[in-house]
Order: sequence, then structure tokens, then C-alpha cells
Amino acid sequence: MHDATQSRLLRWAALFLFIQSTILTLSPAVRERTWDVDYRFMHWLGFFAWIALMALAHRATIKQLPERDPYLLPTAALLSGWGLLTIWRLDETFGLRQTAWLAVSVIVFIFALYLPQNLFFLRRYKYVLLSGGLFITALTLLFGINPLGIGPHLWLGCCGVYFQPSEPLKLLLVIYLSAYLADRINIRLSSLPLLVPTLVVTGISLLLLLVQRDLGTASIFVFIFTIIIFLATGKRRVLLTTVLFLTLALVIGYFFIDIIRVRVDGWINPWDDPSGNSYQIVQSILAVANGGTIGRGPGLGSPLLVPVAISDFIFAAIAEESGLVGSLGLLVAIWLILARGLIAALRAVDRFRRYLAAGIVTYFGIQSLLIIGGNLRLLPLTGVTLPFVSYGGSSLLTSFIALFLLLVISNLADSEPAPLEDPRPYSILGGILALGLAAVALTSAWWAIVRSPDLLSRTDNARRSIADRYVPRGELIDRNNEPINITEGESGTYNRVYLYPDLAPITGYTHPIFGQAGLEATLDDYLRGLQGNPASLIWWDHLLYGTPPPGLDIRLSLDLALQSQTDQMLGDHAGSVILMNAETGEILVMASHPTYDPNKLDDQGNSLSQDLDAPLVNRATQGLYPIGTALKPLVQAEFGKQQPTESELKVFYQKLGLLQAPAINMPATFDVENSAIQNLRISPLQASLAISGLSNHGVMPTPRIAMAVDTPEQGWVVLAAENKLVEVMQVKAADEAVLPFIVAGKPYWSYISQTSKDKTTFTWLTAGTIPDWGGTPLVLVVTLEESNSSLAERIRNTILDAAINQ
Amino acid sequence: MSGAIVLALRLIIAIALYGFLGWALLFLWQEVQKQSISLATRRIPGISLTVRYGSGPPILKHFAQPEITLGRDPGCDIPLIDDTVSTRHAQLTYHHGQWWLEDLASMNGTMLNESSVNMPTVITSGDEIICGSTSMVVTLAANILIEPTQRLEKKND
Repeated sequence: MHDATQSRLLRWAALFLFIQSTILTLSPAVRERTWDVDYRFMHWLGFFAWIALMALAHRATIKQLPERDPYLLPTAALLSGWGLLTIWRLDETFGLRQTAWLAVSVIVFIFALYLPQNLFFLRRYKYVLLSGGLFITALTLLFGINPLGIGPHLWLGCCGVYFQPSEPLKLLLVIYLSAYLADRINIRLSSLPLLVPTLVVTGISLLLLLVQRDLGTASIFVFIFTIIIFLATGKRRVLLTTVLFLTLALVIGYFFIDIIRVRVDGWINPWDDPSGNSYQIVQSILAVANGGTIGRGPGLGSPLLVPVAISDFIFAAIAEESGLVGSLGLLVAIWLILARGLIAALRAVDRFRRYLAAGIVTYFGIQSLLIIGGNLRLLPLTGVTLPFVSYGGSSLLTSFIALFLLLVISNLADSEPAPLEDPRPYSILGGILALGLAAVALTSAWWAIVRSPDLLSRTDNARRSIADRYVPRGELIDRNNEPINITEGESGTYNRVYLYPDLAPITGYTHPIFGQAGLEATLDDYLRGLQGNPASLIWWDHLLYGTPPPGLDIRLSLDLALQSQTDQMLGDHAGSVILMNAETGEILVMASHPTYDPNKLDDQGNSLSQDLDAPLVNRATQGLYPIGTALKPLVQAEFGKQQPTESELKVFYQKLGLLQAPAINMPATFDVENSAIQNLRISPLQASLAISGLSNHGVMPTPRIAMAVDTPEQGWVVLAAENKLVEVMQVKAADEAVLPFIVAGKPYWSYISQTSKDKTTFTWLTAGTIPDWGGTPLVLVVTLEESNSSLAERIRNTILDAAINQ
Repeated sequence: MSGAIVLALRLIIAIALYGFLGWALLFLWQEVQKQSISLATRRIPGISLTVRYGSGPPILKHFAQPEITLGRDPGCDIPLIDDTVSTRHAQLTYHHGQWWLEDLASMNGTMLNESSVNMPTVITSGDEIICGSTSMVVTLAANILIEPTQRLEKKND
């Protein structure tokens, strides 16, 4: 009966791991969406090693422990196999090492099965064992190293093999406490002297761990000590005292120990510093959020974005690739071990075995809760391993020895459990662990489902730029379908290429490190395929690949022929040019100089943001220049020759939209801090909108730059513009206003002004077609950060002539 | 295509995981029920020991706990001030509805009714236990114990 149960569960676990390995093999094909890829095969080594080792362990337990609990070994096998494959998936070098450690652990486990199963040895030599463990741990003070090169020196070892003595120390503490308390019957809290030796021993261990800054293990020690004392005495105030003590320790630690402050701050406010101290926790939560309900599938997520994913953050890696379904399954598997362990404790034939089993359950349970809770930001982060699952030889070996002890304790022929005077402490322990797991499960669901959409759209979610490598991004093209920004390469190496770099301040860039700017940022949803595609396609692609569908092309209103003429003329002069259709608001030319080359962001990205010339700024929409008399034709049309009062002027400017940001789908600003209306600063875009009334019979349009999107179902669809026409003045007044400014022999008016602020002179040129002009009404605004009227005029002549003659 | 195949596999993997867990949890639930029934049906009958230290007067000790240790160690339930007694000499335990006497590998051995105790032995009222030069007489409380139920016996098969 027992053997059949164990064998059946092991077969389920093997099936689970077999399919997981198969998916892992196929995963590159899914990622790159082609069958012609390099498949993963190395992890099968781990899988077959797991099969062989578990078969051996299964046989050995059948032979040596006929009455053992049949659930413990399969569940531990499931967890260790799952961890093993996850580690293989994350890093093949560590996968191989973990396979070797699993072999060592299972062989030690099997060897132990053939020893006489008399735990009296542990009971008798409790002090020797614990002090031996403490001594070896103390050696790390002198010879300790950290295999990663940074962090606390908690390991001993050489030649590539490292051992962390604080892992087995936990088990030794459990053994010591169980043996000590079992030897003293009816411990009461009043008989405090009896507890003194345990306090001293635990205190020494704690001190050692605190000196070593191994705070995770230290807190586990406190929990193990408390719970075993609680089980022995049955007094709930023991638990209360410990909770108070730990809270106090946390508060004191917060003020005096840096690492605690960093961890606690990162826990309370992770979003304050997502790229610094809270990087790990934020990335861990993002991984859980990316997993969603059913996960991205083994090999298909991006768990390597989380630092130390193989050990401390393995839960996040599993949650990303197996989803909420998988992480809940993992939690239930952990609960199965804990529950079976508690039952073994209750059935144990004497109190030593009972305390020992309960202590091991506490060790597994508390350690799992601490690290999973830390991964999910339910608890402050403590760097401990997830038993059986995480990478780490010491942890795996200790877990398997603890499993061996549980199995031996559960192996009861026809013996009868030692009577239990008070069952409450065991119910409470079970309740605490169950509540903890339930809290962890709810938190998982919170991140994976409720908060997932918000989290995944965060700009520091690197998964977006990873998806960009595998899914083509939509192109930006001009009004004549000339490409501006395109995507080149094949799945896996897609790369954004900017064919017309001078437009960089306007169209912006999309970059894995520097993020997005300009139209690439504001039109991102279309370019990334998240908008404009059918919802079912978006859902299906997310389900299959964890990426959005191929992005959609967008047609801009820009005219590359006019644009390149403008850019050539503007050259190295700082300033901006806007040519706009005064009737529809379509922007034909938008230039901002100095500019930069977004194809070279990899090398120049950091220096660009420091550049005093601010090439990243789109001067046409974000540059604010003192208004001076730039709008004189407008002001004259409104007020005639008389000087308007400040409040009249303000009302007029308000009507012209100068006191608010223009409604355009790209970054645009306005003068927020305008104190005196004479000193108002406006952007060239605001100016071109304001004067469009002069060329369009007093009506001001809404600016537009993104015209249409190429959807898979309906072809080119016009991007709905707000298209709110504002009548800024009477038709007659507007038509007459430009008469004094008409350029001789040309169908357009023009006005040049200069203004200076902080020793810089700015040149404003506003121009537009005359109201009688039969063609498309156009307005032009040239802004130069220098005194250069002749350049402004040359640009006007060239561009307006070209545009009119088109 | 590859995505759809892997999606199917991903669903099977979830089924395999929950097959493992569901099967295990179902059986676990049944066992918890059995266990609670078996624990609820057990009581410990008290035991009294009349201890005679050397030639001193006999002292009566009464216990209501399932494990009683005898030895020179002061932590023992029945501390024996006797150089011929080992630190942890012997123990009395209650299980399977009986009190059992077990020698804990003591130096001078434990005698029950003048025969040496080599394995756990059932004791009854009137038995005399001798550890070193200390002797004691067992008196069991009235038999109030509830026998294990049928269901429990079946489980122990």
C-alpha cells in the first residue's frame, strides 16, 4: 500500500518533469517562431540523473523503511526535480553542479538508510554535534569566502566546491533542542533554569550568525527555538515574546545595521528606488506579474532579469514560467511536506522524535515562507534558500538529511504514538504554517493577476525590450510612404534603424537601456501591436509567446522632401522650424536642431543626456522661447493700434492656446510659471497654431502628426484626431490683419522679430499663405537661438516656395 | 505552430502537477481523519511506584505521564541516589495499552521479579523492579483505559 502510493506519486512527478524538459527543449522554437533553431538538450542530463537517483532512493526506502510515510519522498523529489530543471534552464553550468549536488545528497540519503535507524546517537551526542557545527560555522569568520565574490563570507571551501555551514547548523539546532527538551519531562515556563542551556546555546549561535551578517539564518534560528520551546511547554506567550523580540530587533537593526535598513526600506517603498536598492524585489515582482495565470512556459519567460534567480529568487523564476497555477502547486507541495511532517511528529513513538519531526517541519516551513514571502514583498527580503528547490549544495544536502530523519520517524511498524498531553501547540503550529502559505498564495495572485497589467507596462520592465527583439516593431513612414524609422533583422535580433536621423528629436528612439522618446514613445502601443490589432490576436500571442503581435506601421503627416531641405538649411544652427497645414493642423515639417543620431545611442546615450545643447529636446514642441513681439500681426488684428492691458492680453493668449499645452500625441509643453504676461514663453508649435488663424480665416486647427495606422483587418485607418476647430477671430479681421505683412511678389505674409533673454537673442519668423491663396493654407514658424534674420528669411523663401509649388 | 504545441504541453504539465497534488491530498485527508480518531481514543492509566532507597523507608510516587525515566541523573523522574545505578538507567513507557519496562543499556542491569530485563517487558501491579541496589514495587491504577476501536486495529494491520 505504502509502496504503491509512493511509486504512483513518483511517476506523476516524473511525468511532470518529463513534460517540463520537453517544453524546455522546444522553447527556442517558440521564442523565435521558427523550427530552424538550436534546441536545448543539456537539461535532459539533469532529468535522467533525477530519474536514476529517485529510482534508487525509492527502492532503498522500500527495503529499509517499509512503514515510512509514502508522501514525503515523492514530494521532495518533485520539488528538487523542479528546482533542478529550473536551474538548468537558468544557467547550464549551475545546472550541472546542482545535478552533482543532487547525486551527492541522494547518495548520502540512501547510505543513511542503511545505517542502524537508531536516533539515540543524535540524542546522546547532541552537544558534540551542535558544538561541532558551531565550530565549523565559526571557521567562516577566519576562512569564509563568498563564491559570488561579493556579499557575506558564509562559505567554506576550495577548488570550486563550496559549503555553507550555517545550513546544516539549522538542523543541528533542531536536533539539540529536541534531545535536550525530550530528556527533561514536563518543562514549564516557571522552571526557567531548565531552559538556560538552550538559551545559551541558541544565543551563541545567533551571535555567530549576527557577526557573520547571516540575518536570514539568524531569524530562522529564532523561529526554530521559539516553536520547539512552544511545543514543549505549550505556552502561547512564548510565541508572543518572540514576535515582540523580533519586531524590536528589526527596529533596532533598522537604525544600526545598514543591510537591515536597506532591506526594510526596499520592502516598504520598493517603487522609490526601483533601479537601486529595490532592484531585486521590483524585478522579482515583475517576474511574478509576467507569469500571470498559467505562466510563460518553461524556457519562455525572462527570469534571468532577476538577480540570483537560481537561489534566492528561484520562486520568482518558477512563478514567471509556471504562472499562478505553478506557484500555487509549489505551495501545496510544500504544504504536503509540512503536513506529512506534522503527522509524523504526532505519530512519533517518543517525545524526542516528536520534537525532532516538528522541528524539521518548522525549519522547512519557516525557511520556505521567509524566502517566498521575501520574493513577493510580503516580508522583508532575507537571503535564504528555498529547501529542495534552490541552487546550493549545502541546502540540498541538509534538506535531504532532514527528509531522511522525517522518514525514519514516520516509519512505524505497529507501534503506537507517544501520548499527547496537549494537542493545541501542534494545531497552532500547523495553523501558523498554513496561514503563512495561504498569505503567500494570495500575494502571488495579487501580483500575478490584479497588479499584473500595471506592472508589465512599467518602463523599467526589460521584458518589453526583450519582446522587441523577437517581434517586429511597426514602421514610421512619411505622408508619401517614405520610411523613417524601420525594424531590421530576424526574430531574435530585430533592431530599430533610423533612416532619417535628423528627425531624432521628433520621432525619438526606442532603446533597451535608454527607453523611449518622442513619437516612438507616444505611439508605442500601435508600433508594439498592442493597439489596432484585434483583442483576440493580442490575447493569443500573449498566451502563446508572452509577446504582443507584430507591430503596426504608422503614417506621419511629415513630408520628407521638405523636411530634408529644412534640415539642410538649419544645419548647425540651434533652433526649430515648423511647417503646418493651417486648415487641418497636419505638420509637414518639424525640425529641431541640434539633433543627434539615434542609431548611435549605444555609444552616445549617456553623453547625450548631459549635453548642454540639449539635442534630445524637441525644440519645436518642448522649447519655450520668450514671446517678445513674435505675434504682432495677431495682436494688431485683435487690438488695433492701441496697447492692450495685461488682462486683455491674457484673455487673448488664453484664446490662442498659449497658456496650455497643445493637444498633440507627442511630448509638448507650455510655460507653467508665467508670472507676467509680457514675459510669457511659448513653444514654436504654440506659435504656429496661433498664427494659423491668420492664414485660415480666423480658425485655429488641432495639430496632427500621426495620420493613419495600417491595421491587419481594415488596412489604413485614420487615427482619430481631436480636430477641435477654434475660432480665434472674425474672418474679416483675420483676412485684413496680414495685409501689411505680405511679402512682395509672393502669395504669403511674413513677420520677423527678435527678443532677448539672459544675453541670448532669439529670432522669431512667422509666416503664412495669404487668405486669398487658393491652395492649401500653410503657416511657417522659424525660431533661431541667435540673431540671424537672413537665415530665417532664406528658410522661409525656400520652404514656403517649395511647399506652395508642390 | 510551435507555440500551439507547447501551449498544449503547458496544459498537460499543469494537469501532471495537479494530478500529483490532488491524488496526494485526497489520501492525506483520509489519513488525517483516521489519525484524529485514533488519538482521541487513548488515555493513560496512572502508575504508582513504591520506592525503597537502600534500607530507608519506602516512598510512594505517583505518575500520570507516558514516559518515566529512572537513573542517577537529577533530571530523571525517579532520581536514584545510588552509585550502582547508571545516569539514565531504565524507563517505563506506556504504549499499546500496557506499561513497559525497558533497560537503557545500564551498567548493572535492571531486574524484574528477579529476572534480568533484556528487552521491553510488560509490567503489572505487584511487580518488583530492581535497579542496582534500589528496589521498587509497581501499582497500576484501576483499569480505566478505553481499548482501541475496531477501526484502529484494522489500520495497524
